Amino acid sequence: MTFSTRAANWTWTYILRPFLQILLFVLGSAALMSVIAVIVSLIFRTPASRGATLEIDLFEQLLKQLPDTLIDGITIGFLYAVIALGYTMVYGVLKFINFAHSEIFMVGGVIGFEVMIRLRDGSLLTTFPPVLLVILMIVAAMAFSGTLAVVIERFAYRPLRNAPRLVPLISAIGISLFLQDAVRALEGLGRNQFNLAYPTDSVPFLTQRLPIGPTVTISVTAIIIVISAIIMVLGLNYFVNATKIGKGIRAVSQDQATASLMGIDVNQMIAITFLVGGALGGAAGVLFGLKAGNISPFSGFIPGLKAFTAAVLGGIGNITGALLGGILLGLIEAFFSSLLPFFPSFGTSYSDIFAFMILILILIFRPTGLLGQRVDEKV
Amino acid sequence: MLLEVRGVIKKFGGLTAVQNVEYTQEARTICTIIGPNGAGKTTFFNILTGIYKPDGGSVTFGGKNMVGLRPDQINAAGISRTFQNIRLFNSMSVLENIMVGMHSRLRINLFDTIIRTPRFNHQEESVRRKVGDILDFVNLSDKSNEIARNLPYGDQRRLEIGRALASDPKLILLDEPTAGMNPQESVEAMALFRRVRDELGITVLLIEHDMRVVMGISDRITVLDYGQKIAEGSPDEVRREPRVIEAYLGRGSQTDAL
Amino acid sequence: MTVQQTINAPPDNLLRRYGILAAVIIFVAAMFLILITMDNSLTFSPLWTALAFPALAISPFLILRLNVSRQIKAFLILIMLLILMPVLGVHDSFYFTLATQIGIFAAMALGLNIVVGFAGLLDLGYVAFFAVGAYLWGIFTSQTDNYIHAIGLTAPAWMFYVFLFLAVIVAAFAGILLGLPVLRLRGDYLAIVTLGFGEMIRILFKNLDHPVNITNGTLGLDGLASPPLPPFIGSITDWLVTTFKLEVGNPQVLAYQLFFYLLVLAICGAAILVAGRLDDSPIGRAWTAIREDETAALAMGVPLVRMKLLAFAMGASFAGAMGVVFAAKFKSLTPDAFDFNQSIFILAIVIVGGMGSIRGVLLGAIVVSLLNLQILQSLSSLINNLKNQNAVIPVINFAFKDWPNQLAVENYQRFVFGILLIVIVLFRPAGILPASRRKTELEDRDDVPPDLTEIPPDMSLTESGGDGHAA
Repeated sequence: MTFSTRAANWTWTYILRPFLQILLFVLGSAALMSVIAVIVSLIFRTPASRGATLEIDLFEQLLKQLPDTLIDGITIGFLYAVIALGYTMVYGVLKFINFAHSEIFMVGGVIGFEVMIRLRDGSLLTTFPPVLLVILMIVAAMAFSGTLAVVIERFAYRPLRNAPRLVPLISAIGISLFLQDAVRALEGLGRNQFNLAYPTDSVPFLTQRLPIGPTVTISVTAIIIVISAIIMVLGLNYFVNATKIGKGIRAVSQDQATASLMGIDVNQMIAITFLVGGALGGAAGVLFGLKAGNISPFSGFIPGLKAFTAAVLGGIGNITGALLGGILLGLIEAFFSSLLPFFPSFGTSYSDIFAFMILILILIFRPTGLLGQRVDEKV
Repeated sequence: MLLEVRGVIKKFGGLTAVQNVEYTQEARTICTIIGPNGAGKTTFFNILTGIYKPDGGSVTFGGKNMVGLRPDQINAAGISRTFQNIRLFNSMSVLENIMVGMHSRLRINLFDTIIRTPRFNHQEESVRRKVGDILDFVNLSDKSNEIARNLPYGDQRRLEIGRALASDPKLILLDEPTAGMNPQESVEAMALFRRVRDELGITVLLIEHDMRVVMGISDRITVLDYGQKIAEGSPDEVRREPRVIEAYLGRGSQTDAL
Repeated sequence: MTVQQTINAPPDNLLRRYGILAAVIIFVAAMFLILITMDNSLTFSPLWTALAFPALAISPFLILRLNVSRQIKAFLILIMLLILMPVLGVHDSFYFTLATQIGIFAAMALGLNIVVGFAGLLDLGYVAFFAVGAYLWGIFTSQTDNYIHAIGLTAPAWMFYVFLFLAVIVAAFAGILLGLPVLRLRGDYLAIVTLGFGEMIRILFKNLDHPVNITNGTLGLDGLASPPLPPFIGSITDWLVTTFKLEVGNPQVLAYQLFFYLLVLAICGAAILVAGRLDDSPIGRAWTAIREDETAALAMGVPLVRMKLLAFAMGASFAGAMGVVFAAKFKSLTPDAFDFNQSIFILAIVIVGGMGSIRGVLLGAIVVSLLNLQILQSLSSLINNLKNQNAVIPVINFAFKDWPNQLAVENYQRFVFGILLIVIVLFRPAGILPASRRKTELEDRDDVPPDLTEIPPDMSLTESGGDGHAA
């Protein structure tokens, strides 16, 4: 095999094929959700509110908002997907729900904020190249969150590995509470506040919106989120499927005892899993901060829960599943929040209930998720 | 016929673990299922006890259909079992393990439990009496307050049998009950199985690898291989059956025992 | 010489035995005197109360460990609960409220202990059942305008006792409703689903001001009815006020405080009795069996789903009853009082005290509630006092006026609970006062290879026999 065909093969296996798969997921989910939304809007074409009929054609409204809704849904979806990868990797290896992952994600967001605010305080923010800035923020957050996840695993989970299943979960809840208040105390002491607003105003590039059609625009942050997420997913795919360490991790997730007999250092593989999952969570924190414009010690909880829902929706333990679940959940949420305002008797405040309802419904009717496989217990 | 199994099938994905197995057993007999590892013996037990739902076929016990019943319902109907890898309630005492075994024979009533009605106290008393009898039967009366996980291996095996006896079964399924025992212990175990049949009138179905036990105790032997029944009959008949010899010899395992 | 050693001491060693008894009584009396003579204007008084009240509150557990007859123990504890605490409460109503809250949390924790400790099902949305009970009373008696009000379905105050009973049933029913679909899930999935369920109930109460106004949404309900006082409570307080010439602004308020304290005490007593009897019964044994090995329990004839539902319903009913008491005592409700943190708080009580151990859960309720409601607050006010006086720590030269406002100690409950949970789980997984069974299960884990401790993976064994789970 010549070098060029090998390179072509490599590109196909690790870049083009997974990329096409992501594209397929995104387009497929978007098309599916659009069709459902169109049907709903045709059924409730004139939504009624407290007896009076509103002068809106829901179908028309939907069509008008469709591009924005899709862009929004896909953006949130990628964000959920990146967080969900952290849950799913740890679950795949340890069969354990890392409840503290939402706080690892939050810490990433805070690190991103710190990088940005320190550059601003040094008056560098306006002159710093924006793309480099985003990369710097993400890398810093990945390094910090990844390390944090490894430290947590070492001290709070590893000693409990053979304990009954619920025990490490309680430890994780403890870590989660601890991290929330620790970050609050640190930021409160340093900055006298803990609701941290990203100084995006100083970087005009980040607040821009680019036109992609006659009436449709897309924000630069959305583009950043989607591109970074795709890069991370491709990187993870390569890491897990092509590298020696990735193979080790997969072996450990299949059977710890056998893997260790084969000379794989199980503890090391688990630590690396936490490192990678935590780093992805940290990166997602920065992306979330850029999108939402701020982060607080308590912003991790709800996105974390939703990302977990995404992981379960796709089939927990399954990396592709996390991606699919994230995108689907993001789109579902975007459609809910674009349609609910037209039903004033319910209102948008009910939208959070739907995320939980989806979680509960999947767990009841298809606990293995969309891409999970069934495994029977050996008795 | 106490137990009648007709054409049961169980598939796991592409693998057919149990294939069209026919099986019948008379009351008050001791029968054994043998076969190489992975022949589908434990899967067969799991079908009988409702842990797996068969993909086809019927299981009739005492004239009643068992397919589709939950394991606890099947236990209440009179089939009890032990597990290949002992599954005791490890942090409970010997006494409590056997008490749990009686669950399906008890009247569980929230009101009685909270108020401690005479009916409740009376039942608890009879439970304790019966547990005493069972402990005597499996020879564990001097260890009734020990924690199950602290018992030596042989005692754990006997406790598991005692727990299975607690539900007053008509049929007891023992999954490799003498695994890991030395010859002396195996002989004692065989005596215990006979007493289960003769003194308690309970029908016994074993999965067993130790050929001394199999040949020494069984009224009938059934041989499974690759999920199929390849032979059946008295110990002597099975010993001479060419397909059995082939199934074992062909893989070069356990030949000396036959 | 510790209390533990007295238990092992020879029985004829009377001097030593009663010496310890006397020491404990003197200790309790001393704590009581400190509290009752405390001058609250002193700088360090928050510190003394933060030490003395917890010491007094946990003293029943010292008494329980004494090597004396049960009658003496019961007598001492009753004196504590029925005389010392009420006197302290009359002296300073803060202690009445505190003791009542501890009691409310203790009864709830006893309920959660049935689910988590006995049956081994982790419930992270337990506060939902508390909310159900509280809103049941709120919706039907609040003076805030709501739909129920509008259609004239308000309940008179005397219905309190009926509602107490009703809440037990409604909450138990809610428990079954939640349990029915989710109990086939494996442990950790179940935990997340119950979390989602808890949040859903909260969001629902938060948003049920539209389409029809039932809960008045975010603003919550106000002016809830108080139950009518039993006459003897009034007589007791009147007697107290006249005999001791107390300067009480409104005897009615005092009477209500005493009433709720005694009511909560009685409900706690009932909860202890019910939980204890359930534990020591075929039901409790079946729960333990399920917790240890679902497959084996099922094969031994334990109907998994029914027993798990029973655990959920029993646990929920305790919280439902306490919800009604809570609503009637504090007379107003907001949905955010029932968030995830509350569920974690109750869970922390169970974990810290000892899963499955009734005594442990009671001790946990005292320790964790006091930490939450009193100790952190007292430390905060101590720091404030020191700040106001420009106090300085001599050696390191730290001036208290430099203590940052962001570090108000009372706001850092999560920090404290987080560390508490981690430390307990790592170093004393069976809790402060472990249940004997749980101790073997949670602490002897090093000698077991991992695959044997694995809880059977899934729900495939419950109803249909083969759902399977993700790889």
